[in-house]
Amino acid sequence: MKITVFGSGYVGLVTGACLADVGNQVICMDIDQHKIGQLNQGIIPIYEPGLEEMIKSNMESGRLRFTTDVKEAVDFGLFQFIAVGTPPDEDGSADLRYVLAVAENIAEHLNDYKIIVNKSTVPVGTADKVKQTVNEVLAQRGEILEFDVVSNPEFLKEGSALEDFMKPDRIIIGSDNPRTSELLKALYAPFNRSRERIIIMDIRSAELTKYAANAMLATKISFMNELANLAELVGADIEYVRHGIGSDSRIGYSFIYPGCGYGGSCFPKDVKALERTAREMGYQAELLSAVENVNNRQKRRLFEKIISHYPEGPQGKIFALWGLAFKPNTNDMRDAPSRAILEALIDAGATVQAYDPEALKEAQAIYSDKFGLKFCSKQDDTLIDADALIICTEWKQFRSPDFDRLSNLLKDKVIFDGRNMYSPKLVRQSGLLHYSIGR
Amino acid sequence: MKITVFGSGYVGLVTGACLADVGNQVVCMDIDAEKIAKLQQGGIPIFEPGLDAMVRENQAAGRLRFTTDVKEAVEHGVFQFIAVGTPPDEDGSADLRYVLAVAESIAEYMTDYRVVIDKSTVPVGTADKVRAKIGEGLAKRGEEIEFDVVSNPEFLKEGAALNDFMRPDRIIIGADNPRTAELLRALYAPFNRSHDRIITMDVRSAELTKYAANAMLATKISFMNELANLAEYLGADIEQVRQGIGSDSRIGYSFIYPGCGYGGSCFPKDVKALERTAREQGYHAELLNAVENVNNRQKNRLFEKIADYYQDKLEGKVFALWGLAFKPDTDDMREAPSRVVIESLCGAGAAVQAYDPEALAEARRIYGDNPRLKLCASPHEALENADALIIVTEWKEFRSPDFDALSRSLRDKVIFDGRNMYEPRFVRRSGLDYHAIGRP
Repeated sequence: MKITVFGSGYVGLVTGACLADVGNQVICMDIDQHKIGQLNQGIIPIYEPGLEEMIKSNMESGRLRFTTDVKEAVDFGLFQFIAVGTPPDEDGSADLRYVLAVAENIAEHLNDYKIIVNKSTVPVGTADKVKQTVNEVLAQRGEILEFDVVSNPEFLKEGSALEDFMKPDRIIIGSDNPRTSELLKALYAPFNRSRERIIIMDIRSAELTKYAANAMLATKISFMNELANLAELVGADIEYVRHGIGSDSRIGYSFIYPGCGYGGSCFPKDVKALERTAREMGYQAELLSAVENVNNRQKRRLFEKIISHYPEGPQGKIFALWGLAFKPNTNDMRDAPSRAILEALIDAGATVQAYDPEALKEAQAIYSDKFGLKFCSKQDDTLIDADALIICTEWKQFRSPDFDRLSNLLKDKVIFDGRNMYSPKLVRQSGLLHYSIGR
Repeated sequence: MKITVFGSGYVGLVTGACLADVGNQVVCMDIDAEKIAKLQQGGIPIFEPGLDAMVRENQAAGRLRFTTDVKEAVEHGVFQFIAVGTPPDEDGSADLRYVLAVAESIAEYMTDYRVVIDKSTVPVGTADKVRAKIGEGLAKRGEEIEFDVVSNPEFLKEGAALNDFMRPDRIIIGADNPRTAELLRALYAPFNRSHDRIITMDVRSAELTKYAANAMLATKISFMNELANLAEYLGADIEQVRQGIGSDSRIGYSFIYPGCGYGGSCFPKDVKALERTAREQGYHAELLNAVENVNNRQKNRLFEKIADYYQDKLEGKVFALWGLAFKPDTDDMREAPSRVVIESLCGAGAAVQAYDPEALAEARRIYGDNPRLKLCASPHEALENADALIIVTEWKEFRSPDFDALSRSLRDKVIFDGRNMYEPRFVRRSGLDYHAIGRP
């Protein structure tokens, strides 16, 4: 089948590459010439395990192309995926400018039946807006052409996005027209082989499903963080509690890790957008609001612990910081807890020596030459002259450090562990103080 | 092994019966002489599938006895289970009066090593209080006798409690002493055969685990209810959304049913108690607070929909109401959403004809002879001369009614479904108006 993907960011690239990988002809279109130029040379602007090889092999076999030519893109695919960004406005609502611009482009060049597939995370009602935009342009052109708009939200986890696309838990198709649903079913058949994973519903419910899933996961995390804070106050260990409730089959072990807050490009944005949608409707989403507030406070917990350890203040202290990305296996630092901590420390007059296996470039782009912030290309370099160690991201390679050596190197012999990576007993055996969350 | 269980309510009876059923010698003690006399004659005061038969069999086999004699009870078991009630105080904190009274009794009569096991849902720190109480009692007697206090929270679901005890997801043992943990491990070995389900931890974490599990489940429900309300504004169908997110393995299908609010003897009480514990520690548990507020509002949703439909003119209307228990397979009506609906409707001058397969006696006990509330022996009787039908509990027998017959018998041809039991298209095909939660 012939497929066009608008937007060559994270979602667009993964969608394009995976659809090409099962034998489709795919064109990825972006207005950013520099990006497309790089992609044409095989340079991938984001880090995602396996993506680079997949793009290269599909480019070589001629199934995947990149272009900045809108007309070529619209002419090409029966399926027109919209996978552009929907950055939050200042008030938390999703900015639909890019989505609607693509709709206009499609309408301008449309000359045959097309299926427009919303892959971006967009508020409920966006498909209607896309339909309306296309109709308006067609009316201006004086043309009557058939098209359908479908909602098909992505459920990709950064770090395992290819696996998520190729072997999905579920494929949600929101469509008001059975014929269109059938076409989408055919498109997704290669990813739906072992059992039925396609769930068909109306468009608005599909649009809401994406927000609901992310908001539910964010709710589980904030719940655990609230309980972790409570555990500290009553002298319980949240890690035991986590095991205890995770073994309940109605709860499960997923997404109940306490820590220093959730971040990334989805949870904070989607919770805010959903809350904003509710407010526009005159409904006060009290629970969502609490989820967000708890998370905002949680991102300060590690810093608060550092402050209470250094009652004189952390000025002049040197902190080794492990982990900048908002979670392991990504270079994404959007709304990452590491940012709240390093900014607070530097504002308080401390020095931060940071290391991350993937996000250093991203951090440099954000902070460039921020005074007091030093980027280390080796994990060990962060420890030079450091007084204390802070863990912000649970990268695998941080799991089992040599605690005796850390005890010798860290001048104040203290670790602030924002991800409960270590057994407190083990760390303390080496003469180190260990602060974690909820223990 | 020899086991004593204090308290012959829901948790106590299930614990005693199941422990006897695997061959232990069990004495259940209660201060309520009437209850014990009834139990001795085979009368079970609560409804729980299978419990009746299990209690009788084990009584007949001589493994299960009931007594009001404290001394006999304390002398009998090495394991002394505390399974008495912890009703919420007015401020939401758990009332420990009965738990500590048992501790005093044990201290008064113990003559040998005892393991005291908190099975009741009690706030973090209760084991310490029990230990202190027993210590005091022994000191008064001038005795030094060894004992241990263990937290071993129950995870029984009303309606499936026997299965939950016999085939548990997990057995939590909170002990500060490895030797005691080993004794409990031996006690639970018969229920831990296919794979290890025992999780050992410190006492305080075990105490918190019980509250955390219930609070998490309540959180999932309130989350879905908030989203259901939002779906109504947005023209989305929460039932589609539910299936969409339930298929996410990180979320799952459990406890994400939208409806008219959670009730029962655990969730409301435990969420309140946990919030109260937080407040005592100077911590504002904003999320828990929101979970509770959302639920309190949700219990009003059905009545709001009814009042909206009738533009507040409810005087003289007759409503058939199916389902009184807070959930199916129980007769428990504590904090049940049905109560909010009934009380609001009666308050607005309407009459309610209610049916429930198990909770009618309980409803009679609560409401006595309320002239506006008629308790009916069958779903059909509830429909006689009714203007509309309200569904509050998702009992199996309500799943597939004859909609054409309903359409003929309901004067206003309308159903208010607080549990999203039906496919809207189906119902409407019979000419009925259909109002559910979070659906267009």
